[in-house]
Amino acid sequence: MTAQIGAEVAASISGAPASIENAAAAAAQLLARSAQPLIAGLGADIEGARAAIALAERVGGVVEHAHSAALMRDLDSLRESGVMLTTPGEARVRADVVLLVGDGLVEAWPGLSERLLRPPARPHGADVKRSIVWLAPRADAAIPGFGGDVEVVAAGLGATRAGNLAALRARVKGRPVTGARIPGPALDAIAAKLKGARFGVSVWSAAHLGALEIEMLNGLVRDLNEKTRFSTLPLAAPDNGAGVLAVCGWMTGFPMRTGFGVGAPLHDPWRFGAERLIASSETDCVVWISAFGAPPPTWRRALKFIALCEGTTQFAEEPNVRIVVGRPGVDHDAVVHSPETGTLVAIAASAPSAAPRVAQVLERIGACLGKRHARSC
Amino acid sequence: MLIHVKGARIIDPANRRDEVGDLWIRDDEIVAPPSGAIADETVDASGLVAMAGGIDIHSHIAGANVNTARLMLPEQHRAHARRPTATPLSNAGWSTFETGCLYAEMGFTTVVEPAVAPHHALHAHLELADTPIIDKAILTILGNDDFGLDLIRSGQGASAIRDHVGWTLETTRALGIKVVNAGGVAAFKENVRSFSFDDVVPFYGVTSRQIVKALQTAVHEAGAPHPLHLHCNNLGLPGNVETALTTIASAGDLPLHLAHLQFYGYGKEGPQGFSSAAPRLAEAMNTAKTVTIDVGQVMFGQTVTISSDVLRQFSARGQARPRKYAIVDGDSNGVGVVPYEYRAGSFHNAVQFAVGLELFLLIDDPWRVFFTTDHPNGAPFTTYPEIFAMLMDRDVRAQWLARLPAEAVAVTTLPSLTREYSLSEIATMTRAAPAKLLGLPNRGHLGVGARADVAIYRPGKDIAQMFRAAARVYKDGELVVRDGAVTHYRFGRALHAAPTVEASMQRRISEYYETRYGLPSDFMRVSHHAVGRPQPFEAVACAR
Repeated sequence: MTAQIGAEVAASISGAPASIENAAAAAAQLLARSAQPLIAGLGADIEGARAAIALAERVGGVVEHAHSAALMRDLDSLRESGVMLTTPGEARVRADVVLLVGDGLVEAWPGLSERLLRPPARPHGADVKRSIVWLAPRADAAIPGFGGDVEVVAAGLGATRAGNLAALRARVKGRPVTGARIPGPALDAIAAKLKGARFGVSVWSAAHLGALEIEMLNGLVRDLNEKTRFSTLPLAAPDNGAGVLAVCGWMTGFPMRTGFGVGAPLHDPWRFGAERLIASSETDCVVWISAFGAPPPTWRRALKFIALCEGTTQFAEEPNVRIVVGRPGVDHDAVVHSPETGTLVAIAASAPSAAPRVAQVLERIGACLGKRHARSC
Repeated sequence: MLIHVKGARIIDPANRRDEVGDLWIRDDEIVAPPSGAIADETVDASGLVAMAGGIDIHSHIAGANVNTARLMLPEQHRAHARRPTATPLSNAGWSTFETGCLYAEMGFTTVVEPAVAPHHALHAHLELADTPIIDKAILTILGNDDFGLDLIRSGQGASAIRDHVGWTLETTRALGIKVVNAGGVAAFKENVRSFSFDDVVPFYGVTSRQIVKALQTAVHEAGAPHPLHLHCNNLGLPGNVETALTTIASAGDLPLHLAHLQFYGYGKEGPQGFSSAAPRLAEAMNTAKTVTIDVGQVMFGQTVTISSDVLRQFSARGQARPRKYAIVDGDSNGVGVVPYEYRAGSFHNAVQFAVGLELFLLIDDPWRVFFTTDHPNGAPFTTYPEIFAMLMDRDVRAQWLARLPAEAVAVTTLPSLTREYSLSEIATMTRAAPAKLLGLPNRGHLGVGARADVAIYRPGKDIAQMFRAAARVYKDGELVVRDGAVTHYRFGRALHAAPTVEASMQRRISEYYETRYGLPSDFMRVSHHAVGRPQPFEAVACAR
């Protein structure tokens, strides 16, 4: 059986239509009784993320995001080694060599071909043909909607596995390799192309690479910069993942997977992962936020579940409390991270509606909490 | 609300006042003693020292670059000592919330984040909006952007460059314009690995000197309240005093501010080819009356360097402690985040420490030398109290000197310097002069009509303790700190210049971003509603 409420219903308690006020009060009650609340999904705009963190601090909860696992893999390199980064705009005007790595690129950045692959590189103002190399996941790999030249290399040979990336990195440094699955001449041809770049950019989506692979790619780029210029463009996670990460950073000093159970924010990427918290029953109450229409999680739930989502979102089991929220940039103006600029940008509502914003709902829930939790940011 | 602060020693160099007297605060303003009025609150401040709220002109407290550093260094900002939870997120070690509180507790009420790329202006303002109690401002960076360099290269004239400056100030809601290694950041994208004042940016055919001159003039012509804020070339390199001297000499009759001069005070003398050249810089500064500087004092301990001088940060990546870094080739700009630990036992770090103090002590005019650590690049701003103590007490300085390697001290003049700053000079350097430099006439002093930003300190033998924990701080007339702890939570505003913007420049920039990047130019615009607090901004008048 699947459950959903009609588009005209603003909120529900155990599946029965309710006012937002009553639903917020019911949610506050669940949170106040919870031993370890979890705020998860967190598909919200900047203001929604702010409100979520403020609420987490008040109830001693954990802040998590649906795409933390991928975000953490990119973050691992930042926290443990050296990274070179660039922006979509700089890559567009400057990159003479684009090294695409792995799968999921267009999914992560729908504008990839339009905005990066198709326009010519413009070092020194002159149009230069951009050379595009793809360490492709499959032999039949293609970039949807892109008709230009892409040199697909090492497809079907596990090109994006750490071992092969390590072999490539070794050849860039002129070190001997044995046992790589990619034949030596092919490896050397890629290495030569990368070394010949004036300003190369490597593009990937962490959703489709492991931490070791990402670390190896960052190392490869570090090495290339000993002689030439090369940078990376890790594509942002969906559901405003990069935006939520930024807010977590300035409000707590830490990324998501941060808990407030001991008063001070405590970050632990393993301990505070949503799936682990739920599987281990360490959390007994989840606030699941999805203002961008992400599908609901498939957690088996023996816990209280508060959902801030669309009215049409279908759950296997109706949440204890559901409050319908508007979509940022559609129902209301918002600030979100933009994959087109790599920055936080303000977006105007395309179809303004009265649907409440995530921040409004969370603040209303906060207002229903007892005096014990009276502070707010 | 009328508050009567009685019997404090009032140190107000802008009004040439250093005497025991009274202060009257009505709402958010300092007022003349009202005849016959009865104060709602009378504060006995006898034995205490009252100054205007402190103003920090250069402290990297917010924005995408600072946030990258936070996320890179989770180990550096675990909550320190547990604090009472009187304010939200007060146990977050290195957050915007904590930043505002820590500044207020030291009696600072206005802080400038000096390095924001136009593309990241909204992000910076969002962080500033989450920085409580204090007022704040940003400086937006130009001087390495394709659009601006092209204006200079193609000789489109001073008015076009001025209009670009005006557009940038208005769009990004900045108080001023900063240039970081003019042309050098763009050159690094072309694989140039060193870049000096008269070097030419590849392709653009313009030198760093030409960029600086063009923007120095344009900022002046745009009527911006703050002169061009310049981060010179060759930061951190032995012998770079020549770069700084050349830059100072280039200033001419227009005002120019040089940021964190300490990092340019190095000669090549001595056993390690690295020595203090601070006396030469101070000598030049003592005659260059249009030039102001801030020091960028180094203090020992773990910190992180956050700089838009990507070229410099790339060169320094090998010295990262701990061994990690981020080098970002950004839009028209960039940033490098490189953690670093200054060690008292290191020859180089000891010389850097001495150079900063020499500049403080050898430049005569406290109106033209500003107090900074280039937070967090030289040291975190929480070290300010210790630095005040060193400036005011030569015995404290001697204790610090005794920790340093003798051969490092030998290539500096620090042991011979006996000057001690007076409280009035401290107040000039951290209150009166910054307000003048930033064009904020109702701040930095305690005269009638001044904004009621007041810091009241308890003087004692321990100067550092006096400045670490203000006895009382008023922000806009509201009591926000008592005995070194925040007692009232509020949010200040971001100050920004309000220049005239030419419609023709708006059109040109729109066309540029649309054709070149496929983006609407207003993606950089910082609007009220996006920042999301009531009255997040306060306009500062431009001369034009």
